[in-house]
Amino acid sequence: MNPPRLALWLAERLIDQRVREAVVGDFIERFQTSPSRWWFWRETFLAIAHFPARPRLWHSRGDGIVTGFVEDIGRAARTLRRAPAFTLLCAVTLGTGIGAATAIFSIADPIIIRPLPYADPDRVYVVWESDQNGDRNNVGFATYTDVRGSATTLAAAAALGNWQPVLNHNGTAEQLSGGRVSWSYFRTLGVHPALGTDFDSEDDAPARRNVIILSHQLWRTRFGGDSGLIGSFADISGTQMRIAGVMPPDYDDVLMPGAQIWRVLGYDATLPYACRSCRHLRMVARLKTGTSFAAARAELNGISARLVLDNPKDYPAPGFQLVQLQHEATREVRPALGALLAAVVLLLVIAAVNVSGLQLARAFQRDEEFAIRAALGAGGGRLTRQLLAEGLVLAAVAGVVGLVVAKVGLIELVSRLPATVPRLAAVQLDLRALALTGIVTLAAGIVVGLTPLWHARRRGLALSLRGGRRLAGTPHRLRGALVVSEVAVAVVLLAGAGLLARSLFAVLSVNGGFDPAEAATVAVQVSGPRYDDSATVLVWHDQLLAAVRAVPGVENAAIANQLPLGGGFDSYGIQAEDKPLANPELAPSADEYRVTTGFLQTMHIPVVDGRDFTDADNAAQGPPVAIVSRSLARRIWGEERALGKRVHMGEDNRPWYTVVGVAGDVHHRGLDVRETMQIYVPTHRWFFTDNAVDVVVRTSGDPARVLGALRRAVLEPDRGTVITRLATLAEVRARSTAQRTLAFALFGVFAAIALLLAAAGLFGALAGAVAERFREIGLRSALGATPGDIVRLVLRQGLGLTAAGAAIGLVAVLAGAGAIRTLLFGVGTRDIVTFLGVTLAVAAAAALASVVPAWRAVRVDPIAALRAE
Amino acid sequence: MLGEFEQLILMAVLRAGDAAYGIPIHAELLRRTGRDPSLASVYKTLERLEHKGFLSMRTGAPTPERGGRRKQLYRVTNAGQKELRAALGAIRRMASGLDVGLEPS
Repeated sequence: MNPPRLALWLAERLIDQRVREAVVGDFIERFQTSPSRWWFWRETFLAIAHFPARPRLWHSRGDGIVTGFVEDIGRAARTLRRAPAFTLLCAVTLGTGIGAATAIFSIADPIIIRPLPYADPDRVYVVWESDQNGDRNNVGFATYTDVRGSATTLAAAAALGNWQPVLNHNGTAEQLSGGRVSWSYFRTLGVHPALGTDFDSEDDAPARRNVIILSHQLWRTRFGGDSGLIGSFADISGTQMRIAGVMPPDYDDVLMPGAQIWRVLGYDATLPYACRSCRHLRMVARLKTGTSFAAARAELNGISARLVLDNPKDYPAPGFQLVQLQHEATREVRPALGALLAAVVLLLVIAAVNVSGLQLARAFQRDEEFAIRAALGAGGGRLTRQLLAEGLVLAAVAGVVGLVVAKVGLIELVSRLPATVPRLAAVQLDLRALALTGIVTLAAGIVVGLTPLWHARRRGLALSLRGGRRLAGTPHRLRGALVVSEVAVAVVLLAGAGLLARSLFAVLSVNGGFDPAEAATVAVQVSGPRYDDSATVLVWHDQLLAAVRAVPGVENAAIANQLPLGGGFDSYGIQAEDKPLANPELAPSADEYRVTTGFLQTMHIPVVDGRDFTDADNAAQGPPVAIVSRSLARRIWGEERALGKRVHMGEDNRPWYTVVGVAGDVHHRGLDVRETMQIYVPTHRWFFTDNAVDVVVRTSGDPARVLGALRRAVLEPDRGTVITRLATLAEVRARSTAQRTLAFALFGVFAAIALLLAAAGLFGALAGAVAERFREIGLRSALGATPGDIVRLVLRQGLGLTAAGAAIGLVAVLAGAGAIRTLLFGVGTRDIVTFLGVTLAVAAAAALASVVPAWRAVRVDPIAALRAE
Repeated sequence: MLGEFEQLILMAVLRAGDAAYGIPIHAELLRRTGRDPSLASVYKTLERLEHKGFLSMRTGAPTPERGGRRKQLYRVTNAGQKELRAALGAIRRMASGLDVGLEPS
């Protein structure tokens, strides 16, 4: 291991030379025997503090670089204070760019850039089964134990499932989100409880599984941060569970974002839900140190091949998929965050370009000031330093504005992000973000400061003095180039926003298959040993329905285990009696709804063939019945009629359900997800009953008005009921697109700012050009040019720059739009409507920006222009 | 007058013998007193003692494990030995007879 290069580089330069060699030599020698980078850095800083190198420049009189620069900064600050409007405009423009970049970076940093705060996070992988289509699947407990028992490349492995228990504490009931995990879970991730102990392998058995670990936040807020709590018992869903430990405050479970509580899984192979095809668990594994990913994958695939050979009816296809933990945890937000990062960089570029343009325009006005200073003996270097100082002071003000923008923006953004985004708790304006702001600010300052210099160099400073303003009419290629690049960047952002907008509208216009207007839902959960009895749960269902039906404004009500777009995951492979499959695992999977009579009617899901459920279908005797969705019927039976056919779900010992109806398809997992196969069965005819259900009501009039009464009504049957969601169906539907809406909104705001800046840049360039071509324009009018000719002259310049920028921008869009492909829906990356719209928007902005300069040009008085000569 | 840390450094230089440069001096301090000062503060003290004439310094040869950098080797001068003897004598006289568990048994 080598010493940290940056520290060494600093030490070689900043430690005074009288001890430098000896000290740095000692550092290196010591590092060979005990390599600690932290130690090296600490010692380096201390040595620099004790023996700072003293550059000669620092000491020299008057115009040493350092003292001279301090003077320059002071002069720059005075200069900028004399032009407050200009300074404010620049600071706000640049500050918006810096702030937006800092805010988005702060969000992206802990989520997709920084490694997870676990030990060796790159060795932790999520393990999925592969299905026949190459899609990923959860694992059954038996598969997990086989892999764990035989893999030699894994240092640890764990299975996990979601868990939504109810905490009864101090007389209140609260729904918690958490997980049931193998005892080895935290060891696999490489984390350890801060208080108490980790799970013990002994605990992970059906008889002893009532052991929990709390999140720091839950421990602090609900248990008062009492460390005497370890080893005591808490009432979780009506059962006394022993609190083994508390996780550290910064622990963030990326596999279950927002998890507050963990309980040992407590499975063994004899349990009915521990089978191979009971795929409701996720698996996570840590590779042994020194084992390559390829070796682990090869071994797991070997194990899989053997398992499939031994149990051909339990697996659709052989193979495991290993995905690195961070990649897995962030895969849903990664495309959007990446696109936003790119967008915000573009916004920053356009802001810097814009301010550079303003600074350049101002330099033209200050030609004489520079010329006089040059004539008085200021060398080129001196003027360079002054411009640089002005750029830096401007950027520093902008940096402060940027920090405010970033702070406010970050709070706003984080509050709008869905809680399912991992690592949200770690998002903050931290040192890394501040360092980035500093670097960006410095870079912007240098760019902004030195842009006018390019112009000055080209013109020759001395010329200015001799020629005064008359020579200022030289072609302004640089300013033109700035405008072109601004327009190009604006076009890229506008196209991105346009594509996202079209996608959002496409998603929102998807018919979900149910009617969200005038309907509301409340999700409720009851807990306690008495609900272990199915009959009690079914009575509770009836009481719930009676209570909500009594609410004024409620016309119809029903109960289901999950709702379309509601975030539920219950699905089963559906096997048809008349279409037997050699491998039942290849059966099509459908969303499984356990519903009370009247659910389809309440949701306005049409019955397209056969009939809806009736109360008679709840009878305990007789063959159970089911309703399938149209696409499920088509998938299994094609053109044949589904009615009267029998289907089967799950274990072999479960009954056959007779299809009595075909319903319209609904979008279950998202409006942008095309799979729409469902099966409905009566709550009374399923092999277990749900004590956590969604109640849905159809209302007459505004559904938001019944929410309050609904909340009170569902508490009537059991005061200990926990409400986990209360919303109109339209809100549920809108929430399913929240992430997409947010991404579009951000892109839209960035694009709007970019367009505004580009238009402002164009306006500045044209106004400057008109002012400088004052004489030429006057001469043209004197020689007979009509006002139309003059307007055309200005417009030609403006539209020429715009067209060039738009062309470059569109080429960039065509080349780069693939980057946001995964965010698009119902629209291609080469969407002509979007491109036309973008072009029109840019053209309109350019025309607006040209109006005032053109009007000014027309008003140039030829006499005055000629006299000015 | 010698400060306490200066005394410790002088004795560490004596103990390190011919190879008295930063690392061994620091190692002696750590091993015998449990103190882990930064190398920079060790050098600061060495420099001060050299300035007072209690240490002399010469530049050693470069070695590969130091990335080819030379050592600064220190030796206690006669003046340094005298000063150290005086300081330790004063401490011993002050401590003698006090029942604070200082006396060697």
